[in-house]
This record gives sequence, C-alpha cells and structure tokens, in this order.
Amino acid sequence: MNSIRRVVFIMVGLILIAAPAGAQEIVIALGSEPTTLDPQIREDGGERAVNDNVYETLMGRTPDGKLVAGLAAAEPKLVDPRTWEVKLRPGIKFHNGELFNADAVVHSVKRIMDPGFKSEQISFFSTIKDAKKVDDLTVQIVTEGPDPILPGRLYWMKMVPPKHSKDPKFAESPVGTGPYKFVKWNRGQNVIIEAAPDYWGAKPAIKKVTYRFVSDSGTRLAGLMAGEFDLITNLLPEFTKKVPQAIHILGLEHPIMILNADGGPTKDVRVRQALNYAVDKKALAEGLFEGFAQVAQGQLLSPAFFGFNKQVGPYPYDPEKAKALLKEAGAAGASIEVIGTSGRWLKDREMVEAVAGYWEAVGLKPKVRIFEFNEYLNRLFDRKTRADAIFVVSSNELMDADKSFSAYYKAGGVGSSNTDKDLAAMIDSARTETDVAKRTAHYNQAVKRAFDQAYFVWLLNIEDVYGLSKRLAWPGRVDAKMLVSEMKVK
Amino acid sequence: MGRFFLKRLLQGVVVILGVTVLVFVVTRLVGDPVKVMLPLEATAELRAEFEKQLGLDRPIGVQFIDFLAGLTRLDFGESLWQRRPAMTIVLEKLPLTLELASLGIGLAFILSIPLGIIAALRPGGATDRGTVFLSLIGLSVPQFWLGLLLIVVLALQLHWLPTSGIGTPAHIIMPTITMALPALARLVMIVRSSMIDELNQQYVKTCFAKGLSFYRVVGVHALRNAALPVVTLCGWEFIRAVAGYSVVVETVFAWPGLGLTAMQAIERNDLILLQAIVFTVAILVVLINILMDVAYRAIDPRLKLT
Repeated sequence: MNSIRRVVFIMVGLILIAAPAGAQEIVIALGSEPTTLDPQIREDGGERAVNDNVYETLMGRTPDGKLVAGLAAAEPKLVDPRTWEVKLRPGIKFHNGELFNADAVVHSVKRIMDPGFKSEQISFFSTIKDAKKVDDLTVQIVTEGPDPILPGRLYWMKMVPPKHSKDPKFAESPVGTGPYKFVKWNRGQNVIIEAAPDYWGAKPAIKKVTYRFVSDSGTRLAGLMAGEFDLITNLLPEFTKKVPQAIHILGLEHPIMILNADGGPTKDVRVRQALNYAVDKKALAEGLFEGFAQVAQGQLLSPAFFGFNKQVGPYPYDPEKAKALLKEAGAAGASIEVIGTSGRWLKDREMVEAVAGYWEAVGLKPKVRIFEFNEYLNRLFDRKTRADAIFVVSSNELMDADKSFSAYYKAGGVGSSNTDKDLAAMIDSARTETDVAKRTAHYNQAVKRAFDQAYFVWLLNIEDVYGLSKRLAWPGRVDAKMLVSEMKVK
Repeated sequence: MGRFFLKRLLQGVVVILGVTVLVFVVTRLVGDPVKVMLPLEATAELRAEFEKQLGLDRPIGVQFIDFLAGLTRLDFGESLWQRRPAMTIVLEKLPLTLELASLGIGLAFILSIPLGIIAALRPGGATDRGTVFLSLIGLSVPQFWLGLLLIVVLALQLHWLPTSGIGTPAHIIMPTITMALPALARLVMIVRSSMIDELNQQYVKTCFAKGLSFYRVVGVHALRNAALPVVTLCGWEFIRAVAGYSVVVETVFAWPGLGLTAMQAIERNDLILLQAIVFTVAILVVLINILMDVAYRAIDPRLKLT
C-alpha cells in the first residue's frame, strides 16, 4: 500500500514538474543570455528584455510609442535652453527599500556618464553634461548644447539605487523600482523575476516570469510548439502559420540602400530616382517577409518617430519610368557596385539580391558583393571611397529622427554618402531646436529634401514578429520592449 | 620514461604558445570589436573614445607584451563582451562541454566495439553491409539537422524529452546522441577494418588451433591488437567534440557550454575571451595527446617510451 502511494506521489510530482508553468507564471525564450544584469553598461538585447521589467526610467512610452512620464511626475520642462528640470513622483522605493529621489537620479546619470565606467550606452547620452539636485524631488539635467530630445533619451536611462549599485555583486543582483523584482539568475540556464509586492503603479497580472536562452530559432520554435515557452522573440515570418499565436507590430528597423551622391553613376539624381522607381517594395514585403513588413514611406522613419513627414510617401514601382530616367541620364547599362552582408539582419542577403535583380531588370549591371560583417563594416564606415550602393538596416530606439539622420542623412555622418550642405544644415538646426513646432518643420524639410534628391532607396519598415502560446495575451509594442506588466494569461 | 614525458611536455608548451600567439595576431587583424559593440550609428569620435577606454588603441606590440605578462598569471583580462574575467567564463563553461563530449564520445566508443566486431566477423555478409551502410549515413547526416530532427520527433511529437536547455538528466539525452553519431560511425568503421586485419593473422588461427574459445580469441587476443587505432581515433574524436562539434550541438540544444560561448565570442569580436578559449582548448588537446601516448603503451608493451 505504502509503496503504491509513493509511486502515485512520485507520478503526480513528475506531472507537476512536466506541466508548463502555473496559471500566472510564464516562460519567455530569448535569443541570447544577458551578459550582465547591470542596466547601464551594455547594449544587449537579453539584458534589456529582463531589466525593462525590473528597472524604470524617468520617461516611459505608451505601447504605440507616445512619450509619457514614468518615474517623473510630469514631462521635463526647459528652464533655460540647456537645462531640463524634472519633477519626480514622490514615495517610490527601490525593491531593497532604498528611496527613489533626486539623489538616485543624479547618481544614475553620473554613473553612466563616467568615462571610467565604459558604458556602451553612452552614445544615447553623449549630449548630457551634468545632473544637479534642486530639492528631494527635483532634478536639473544640463546638456552641452540645447538638446530637444532629452526627454526621449531619459526613456532609455534606467534608474539605479545609489547604495546597492556600488556593490560589486550589483551586476548579478539587480534592484530597481519596476513592477517585477529579481529572484534568481542560474547562469546558462535561466533568469527568474516575480511581481514586486509593493510596486507603486498598477499591479501586474502575471506573477512570475522565467527567461530561457535559446539562440537557434528552430529550437525556439520547437520549444513554443511543445508548450515549454509562452513567448518567443524573432519568429521567422515563414513559421507564423505553424505557431499557436503570432503577433506582429511595426518595429524600429529600416533596411535601406545608401546611394553615393558624390561619384559614379549614382552622382546623377535621375539615376538615384530610377533606382527607387525600379524596386517593387511591396513584392519584397510579400515575398521575403510574408507580409510582415511595410513599404517604407520614403524616409528613414516609422510613423511613430518624431520627425516623420506625412506628406512624403514611397516612390512607386515604375520600371518604365526608371528606364526612361536612366536613358535621359545616359546611364543605361551602367555598372553599380552593391555592398551587403549576410546573416546579420533578417533576410539581409536576400534583400540585397532581390534589389539587384530589380536593377538588372531595368537594364543596369549591378555587381553584388556580400562581405563578412567585419569587412562589411569597413566598407560602411569608409569615409574616403563610397561604394555606389551600400545596404544597411538602421534601427532607431530613441524613436527620434536625430539618430538616424545624423548617421546616414547628414554629410560626414558615419554612413552617409552625400555632401549636401543644405540638408546637413537642416539636421543641425533641428538637433538643437527646442521648439517642437520649429523642430518638426526642420525635419519635414530634411525628409523632403532627401526624398527629392533620392539619396537612398528606402525599402521597408520591418515588423517585429513574436510567437505566443495559446494562453498568453499581449498586443506587442512599437518600441520592441517586452513589458510583462502588459501581458495576461487567458 | 621521464625523458619521454619531458620531451612531450616541452613540445606541448611550444604548441600551446604557438596557437595562443597566432590567435592574438589573427583576431586583431580580422576585426575591430568596438565597431561591433557600439550601435552602428555611433559617431566616429565616440568609437575612438571607446577604443581608448578599452586599451585597444595602443600599439599592437605593447598590447602583446601586456598579453604575455597576463599569460604568465593565466590572466587574459576582462571579456569585452561580458565584462568579467575571461578565464572565469571559460572555467564556468568548460565542465558543461566536457560533460557533453565525454558522454557523447563514451557512448560512441561503447557501441562501436560490438558493432565493429560483429561486422568484421563476416566481411561482405549482410550484417557487415548493413553496418557499413548505416555508418555512411551517420557520417553524412549534418549534426544540426540531426539535432533538429531529434527535437521534432522526441520532444515535439512524442513529448518524451524537453526541447532544449539544461537542468535535468532528460536534457542531456538528445545532445549526447547528436554528439555521438558521427563519432560512432567513424569508430565502427575503424573497429571493423582493424578487426578484419587481425582476424586474418596467423596467431588467430594458432589460438583457435590451441582450442581457445571463440570469445577469448576475438574479444581478448584480436581486440587488444586491434585497439590501437581505435584508441587513437577516440582521442581525436574527443578533441573534435570539444573544439568543433560542441559549437553546433550546443547551439541547437541551447547547451550553455564552451562551444556556444566561442560562437558568441566570435560574433561579437571578443578577442580577449577568444584567446582564453583557444588557450584552454589547446591545453586540453596537448593533454589528451599525452594521455593517448600513455594508453598506447599500456595496450601494446612493444612500443617503447622513447
């Protein structure tokens, strides 16, 4: 009798172990393990996925991308062109009991700015010069020059507890103010977080999250289909029909071709326009991405980004017009060097080859050269000789035109292939213009200018695709953050 | 005896140093970690600044002397990607890879002996042809595909095993099989051919004539003589498992060992971590080679330690 009972106990135990996590517990499979759980040091998707739930920022965003106050009580105010004042929400504590106040903000800002700290996130904050405490719940942040996107930058800076962040073990035991608190990190295996009982905001529905790390997309898919995972990232478009639920939402990534406006056949604006007319972007979205991508709106911006110009749309697919323009420019049959890489971005090589195919169809002779990523970067960043066309996928986490435009649109930017002084001036004035209406006007102008000059072939705006278990309900977010507090188990 | 090991050890040290220096030079020629670490849109000034902070802007000679000084203390510095001492990461991951490689190659070894002998008993017979055919399949199947196939059948359809990860004994079954199969295929072929050679030797006939039992002749006398190439291959398979197969198998099964780490370090141009990994694997290779020399001499006393 006893032994039978024991067997039954063991079997029930086994079933409990084998069953997917309980009702309000979910398992999320990420592509890579966090290298650290210090939220201020790395540019690391795995780290961000976990810490976005443990830590908070002064500014937040709604799921559709609107900037709203987070730990700040209201939107920051400009007190002079270089000083932003932020009022803080009162009575908030870190999970270890430390107070969240002006000291914590000043500490967090200075920590990330410290050159000795070697933060990889520094490029988001390089305009910040100083942070000063005014009173317990007021902070002033001083920038080098006028910086209109400081509120957007604050949405990227996680607030850390002043005392605990000095602990050498801080990177393994994160403590934030967020809706979830850290429980355990079994290196190589998982990270576990659970709902923080004293959270200042709305209580989240899901009580416990286990993050698993599976780099192979096929294995991630298998885990979702076997019921081991509730949410997987970067689901390949071709698998969306196989999974219990797939959600897709317009993301932050824009594949483009950078055209050399200063030399070669692409020096002629008519040739650059022809290269745009020649490509059937809709077919790319349908054929390569199974529809999980939108045709780019003739600009390096998604509709949710600051600076998006509603008046500008895509170049239509018109191969006849392309041929006519090429003929007019005397560039029919010209050879075009196309630089790309393989395996870095979703369908990167396929896109380059498809675009080259369209160019060939209008009578050009594209020479596709696919390089290993390091060598590819040498070409992308080469300031002396620019290839006729360089493929790149631009990602813009700040959701503001400044980052992408400074890098690709502006003459002298790390990946730009034009020397248009007017365009550079528009971007520079927008960069330091703190008046929203004027700043918008500058960007509208810049978008229009680059579009008319066809400095790029704008291809697509890629959607983020997630695989979900049957029981999970989550609409997704435009900023690609996986905020568990917005998820529910059905 | 002592001189033999001294000589081997010295050779080993030269190999390890050679490999380490080679990796130092090659990784620095191939890529610039800062380009990969910072977002693409980061400005050139910021990149330069970051390079300075990481000490990668110093002349390569200075970096090399620094590197050699660290090497004497087994200190490779902090991994650029993980910001932890590179050796700590390697020592954390190595046991998992050794576990997987030992189980996989151990399984292959244990299965290969009986399979190879059975095939060798009647060369050209049905069992022999069957074994050769299956070995060829085992050799031809790509490991990543085999791994995914196992996941689909054993985890997805039958629900017997978890798809990936670590934690319970059930997690290690599929990675072990995937690791073992190509090694098994090669080992079976080698056991088979050396057994066929041995069974045709005069001494085997003598043994039978003396009236020794079949099992004693085949399983002891012939097998012992046939074992030399098998042991060689086993050592070689183990090295390949640690330094090669582990990359594929660990990626497919999300097994957080050295192979997966090496793969990620390469993707991120983490020179420091790569040096530590290659150094450690080089030591392992040298050690296994020395171990194999010892094993030879234990199996075949005719070989002298010179």
